[in-house]
Amino acid sequence: MKVLIKIFKVLIKFFTSIRLAIVLLIILAVASVLGTLIPQQRSLEEYAARYGQLSGLLIRLQLTRLYHSIWYLAILGLFALNIIVCTLTRLSPKWRKAVKPHVQIEAKSLLALKIKDRYKKNAPLSAVKAELAKSLACSRYRLRTAEKDSKAHLLARKKILGIFGSDFVHLGLLIILAGGIISGLTSVRKELALKEGEVLPVPKAFFKLRLDKFTTEHYPDGSVKAWKSAVAVIENQKSVLTKTIVVNRPLTYRGYSFYQTSYGWNWDNPSLEIWTKKKSDPAFLKKLKLKVGEKVQLDDKDQTSISVARFIPDFVLGEGNEPQTRSLQPNNPAAFVEGTRGGEKVFSGWIFANFPDMDRIHAAKETDLSFELKSFEAGQYSVLEAAKDPGANLIWIGCALTMIGLALAFYWPHWEIKAVLEESQGKTEVIAGGIAAKSRDSFQSEFEKIMAAARRSK
Amino acid sequence: MNESTLFAITFILYIISAFFYLGFIFSKKPTWAKTGSALAIAGLVIHTAALIVRTIESGHAPFTNMYESLSFLSWASVLAFVTIDKKFKIPKIGPYIMLIVIGLVALASSPLMPKEATPLVPALQSYWLWLHVSVTLIGEAFFSVAFISSIMYLAAKEADKKDKWDSVSYRCVAVGFPLFTLGGLVFGMVWAYKAWGTYWSWDPKEVWSLITWFVFALYLHTRIVMGWKGKRSAVIAIIGFLAALFTYFGVNYLLAGLHSYA
Repeated sequence: MKVLIKIFKVLIKFFTSIRLAIVLLIILAVASVLGTLIPQQRSLEEYAARYGQLSGLLIRLQLTRLYHSIWYLAILGLFALNIIVCTLTRLSPKWRKAVKPHVQIEAKSLLALKIKDRYKKNAPLSAVKAELAKSLACSRYRLRTAEKDSKAHLLARKKILGIFGSDFVHLGLLIILAGGIISGLTSVRKELALKEGEVLPVPKAFFKLRLDKFTTEHYPDGSVKAWKSAVAVIENQKSVLTKTIVVNRPLTYRGYSFYQTSYGWNWDNPSLEIWTKKKSDPAFLKKLKLKVGEKVQLDDKDQTSISVARFIPDFVLGEGNEPQTRSLQPNNPAAFVEGTRGGEKVFSGWIFANFPDMDRIHAAKETDLSFELKSFEAGQYSVLEAAKDPGANLIWIGCALTMIGLALAFYWPHWEIKAVLEESQGKTEVIAGGIAAKSRDSFQSEFEKIMAAARRSK
Repeated sequence: MNESTLFAITFILYIISAFFYLGFIFSKKPTWAKTGSALAIAGLVIHTAALIVRTIESGHAPFTNMYESLSFLSWASVLAFVTIDKKFKIPKIGPYIMLIVIGLVALASSPLMPKEATPLVPALQSYWLWLHVSVTLIGEAFFSVAFISSIMYLAAKEADKKDKWDSVSYRCVAVGFPLFTLGGLVFGMVWAYKAWGTYWSWDPKEVWSLITWFVFALYLHTRIVMGWKGKRSAVIAIIGFLAALFTYFGVNYLLAGLHSYA
């Protein structure tokens, strides 16, 4: 039993020690640095390529998802525990100091202070005390006094809330951590890729979202000014709310927020416009509108028809010269055109919207046709992120408390002036001392001002 | 007058100011320091005008690319120095702070930095741009003054001078830390939540802000609770500033992430 109590005491001491907090701050900082050096949450292949044999170890130590690893969370948990214990053990003496301060101070202890004063006046105790009290009150000090026989004690304080600054900060941080835990456990996030007119259910909610219109606005220089998704909230088959979602202006409805996060093209079935020309006949121009797979008769007498077998939005030649798309953005749109005559393939090849002069048509049989990919149209979809984060409100409360605490701790310094007054033979001696945890210089000048005023007055 | 002319005048004023401060170090004549300070303040005024003109011309906050943000950071550093100098009279760090400022301005003026004001990408179209960036950079500017003061502490020999640098350094952290917490972390989280729907995504820039915050939290706890002062405090303040510098600069060029604006 005794051993247990001893262990318990040692543990308590360890948790209450500021040393633990310092060790944890250092560990957290170093671990966090590590997480920015090792790319986080990538694919197994990427780690294997980057670190080779080491990758297995990194994954086992959870260094590849460091900020969500058991050990990082454990350090955070320990940190929280340390904050709680440290704050509580320091809180109760502070609380006592604020609520039930010790007024009857020995003159000796005041004389040991750095900021102090001593004077004698030819006046009774009550008068000298009243003068000093008035001078202190002028500088907005709150007074507590104790009087006994020919001796009086004075305790004057201001900005007492300042001593709780660090406690506000710590409480704020704990609330932020709690908010983080709640977010981690309960937040819902899902990307909704919506085509115009499409309705999708919102995950874990009983309403749906419909995209009415998606537009991209551009600046004169061509860069994107805004993505706008006009959406409607559908509840019981009825539209109950419409709003245009823009980046930085989400729609919030029933605890959910919807953010404009991305957009894309639906390349499944683009409409293409292809211009056909004849090398032998400059007057010949035929504008064809067709979709992938669709066959169009080019010329009645010629019996040639053409079709587009494939469309690639961002053409690039991969390994083995395989045509493939580099991205889903139309950076280098290309169409594979095929010509047939009487069921027989006569030519085929790639044409590029950005490079109309590039001729890649390989003719099996003689043809004097040339093609240009003039334009293409694909349906766009808007990607909205549906998010519900019940932890977020706690985060804001925690942030507010943290900032209030920092303001109190740095800019609301608690100042304290104590005095002992003693009367003997019609004379009263005053011994006063001042304590300031912060801003000592300004406190000292205020202290001197107050004392000078008390001395001067009659 | 257009922005680039004003910016060039600012640059020249800062350089002359640095010369006078350097002259003060060698001659020990207070007039040199006073002239240096007057020139720094004049530079700050012209620089403010340059930032205002930039804002009016571009129609958005003057910190949306590296050029603008460097210009603003150098402005904030002069502001931090002038404020702290007014209170503590520390002309001795004048030349070093002005050298850092000149370095930032030179970097901003270098041909590597595209200077033309580009229209605002959708992600930056928010009033949080003003709050988040300006408050963070002003906080970091105070860290830079703390950094120089800490180096001065390490270099100083007499005890009373060491004491002064120690307290100047602490006062800079006392201003910079709340500002950095508010601008960098709190406003950053609020904006991230408004723009991306998540207040924290462990993006490298976020993590490095947190690391910077940890280092200065360490500075404050070792100092206030454990009574560390002097050398150890100075070293932690220097590490903290380097972390802030890496958050500002290094992350953009060395680590990829969401926060790819400036």
